[in-house]
Amino acid sequence: MAADEGVMWVEKYRPKTLNEVVDLKDIVESLKSFVRTPKVMPHLLLAGLPGTGKTTVALCIARELFGQNWRTFTLELNASDERGIDTVRDRVKDFSRYSRAAFGNVPFALIILDESDQMTGAAQTALRRIMETSSRTSRFILICNQSGKIIEPIQSRCAIFRFSKLDHKAMVDHLCCIAKKENVTLTPEAAERIVDFSEGDLRHAINALQTASSYKDGVVDEKTVLLVVGEASPIQVQLMIRKALYGDFIEARKMMYDLIGSFGFSGSEIVRQMQRELFKMSDLTPEKKADLSNIIGEYDYRLTQGANSDIQLSALLAQFAKVGKTQGENS
Amino acid sequence: MREELLWVEKYRPKKIADVIGNEEAKAAFVEWLKNKRRSKKAILLYGPPGVGKTTLVNAAGNEFGFRVIEMNASDTRSEKAITKTAGPATSFIALDTFSSESKGNILFMDEVDGIAGNEDRGGVSTILRIVEESQIPVIMAANDPDLQKLRPLKKVSALVRFYQVRIPLIIAMLQKICQKEHVKAEFEALERIAENSRGDVRSAINDLQSLAETTKTLTLQDTIVLSARNKDVSMDETLRSYFSAESLLEAAMLLSRSSVDYDDLLMAVGDNLPLRYTDPSDLAKAYDYVSQADMYRGRIGVENWHLLRNFFNSLSQAAGVSPQSYKPFALISPPIRVITLFWTKGRRTMLEAVCGKIGQRCHVSRATAKEDFVPYIKALLTKKKADAIVSWLELQPEEVEFLTKMNRL
Repeated sequence: MAADEGVMWVEKYRPKTLNEVVDLKDIVESLKSFVRTPKVMPHLLLAGLPGTGKTTVALCIARELFGQNWRTFTLELNASDERGIDTVRDRVKDFSRYSRAAFGNVPFALIILDESDQMTGAAQTALRRIMETSSRTSRFILICNQSGKIIEPIQSRCAIFRFSKLDHKAMVDHLCCIAKKENVTLTPEAAERIVDFSEGDLRHAINALQTASSYKDGVVDEKTVLLVVGEASPIQVQLMIRKALYGDFIEARKMMYDLIGSFGFSGSEIVRQMQRELFKMSDLTPEKKADLSNIIGEYDYRLTQGANSDIQLSALLAQFAKVGKTQGENS
Repeated sequence: MREELLWVEKYRPKKIADVIGNEEAKAAFVEWLKNKRRSKKAILLYGPPGVGKTTLVNAAGNEFGFRVIEMNASDTRSEKAITKTAGPATSFIALDTFSSESKGNILFMDEVDGIAGNEDRGGVSTILRIVEESQIPVIMAANDPDLQKLRPLKKVSALVRFYQVRIPLIIAMLQKICQKEHVKAEFEALERIAENSRGDVRSAINDLQSLAETTKTLTLQDTIVLSARNKDVSMDETLRSYFSAESLLEAAMLLSRSSVDYDDLLMAVGDNLPLRYTDPSDLAKAYDYVSQADMYRGRIGVENWHLLRNFFNSLSQAAGVSPQSYKPFALISPPIRVITLFWTKGRRTMLEAVCGKIGQRCHVSRATAKEDFVPYIKALLTKKKADAIVSWLELQPEEVEFLTKMNRL
């Protein structure tokens, strides 16, 4: 399996034990005590930004509890893929039914439910019931970005751990460590660049490092990093913003529909990417960025209120086109 | 005799035998009408529109010499109104019998399922009373007899059911009309009109007349507009009058009266807005209103229909942002979203499948795989050592090709 996982570095260098986890000392210490005495382990809720190690920690717990056999005793579900609580319920039921529970001194099987804040309130209520009925045989590790989106009754049944953005230096060190093992020369500036760009998201950083290393044999310098960042940026989204600011609404809308159609992005995903890409556009003044960012924020809210995301996205682009026009008149 | 403009009226059968289709229903009705000791004083004819219910009653009156006193949905049918029209007719029967021509009156209440709740207050109960007190036969016709409010009427009436008229009968009828109107028509064209009518003779004749208005030789080609007309005209018309509305009130009234689905309407307005407003400020303002309308739609959900007024108000504001700039324009239809999703379905499913494979391997959801992995994997695939990734993710050759050629995300 080790050779098998060597392809994507994110997987290859995903920590196998809690000790190897980057920069989460406090969390790791308390989790270790659960692993030592599994009987007292409650349900866990891991909350935090993407790429900060939540899934990794969950998988580490599984490995440390069940050793080599962890896959047999662990059910990994992703709430944003398993649409509807029924699939979740069925799979959890099936899983706990065959009494795979009780391995060594571990009196339960483990269910890891990733992106659980994607579930609707109703689905979460059903989940709460499942957690109760199967609590004798299974423990849940719920993973989410925002713990606020998890209903209170579930939160109260879980021990909550919050993952903050990873420390800058720890990330740089980790990248250097990986580069060393892969026999890649990573210049310090390049490492800084990657970490800056990935905004505390280690998954992004490692993916960027791996991609950069494939450009030039054995060396990753600042230039290749910039190249990769450019290549891997959602160009489509930036182009759409530019078209809109240029006042070409119809063309911008066409690109919006391309994002929806060809890439299957949802309205909120597009808005989030716009927000992210906006700040990478170097030709806009900070004031302009702030104005546009405000507009995006407003329509991000409207998306949650409205019924039709196409309408809200179009309205957002129309606002951009208006801003672009007034800007053109001033200069 | 005055010339009827509408063929439906011009060729309305005068004799029972000329009413096409529904032979059983016709026989049952005639028997009820002839029978002096009928067990039920009223009869309810029910069935889909345009199959000959009204025609049959009038033809029967004609043939048997009854005078038909008719009330239909265009009259208000409150308690007062019904008593006023029907009351004398039902009680003063004796006077009429002296006249040599008429054998008496029959009261005919057409479209009884159209009796509305508010304006026609007490309507159903009054009809019921008239049926009970009446000395003369009462005939009622309805499309949908299952309505709760008609239940009391059904209890006191004999029921006769009408079905859709069979297509060949309609074709024959259309052929007869064409002959008399000197219209040359392909058989296939008439067949299509008849099929399109779904057994509704009235609409078939109306369609024939409107088609024959433009050409005296009717071909199958000419009938292509038919199905489109039934569905799309109302959306197109709604949009057209919406964008050209001269006041807010006009736009709002029009929207609330249109039978178009609200969600379709919202989407169609959104699609067409940039064609209506070319100035970015106008467009932004208009979209802002539409966006607000959409938020109301979101709040309406499935139950808060009282908010519908706000939805219409916001939506009509969008039509009046700059009245002076209005120029007619070609509408976009069908919806952009539907078309986009149709043409890109293959690409989308392919991408979803790839993301599913990545998700399996890297412990992430498809959505995360799409945003965090696909851009990098795409870049990696074009470089050396790509084979390892391909086999690890178990990508098919066409998926690799798709990824490398994909638009830059």
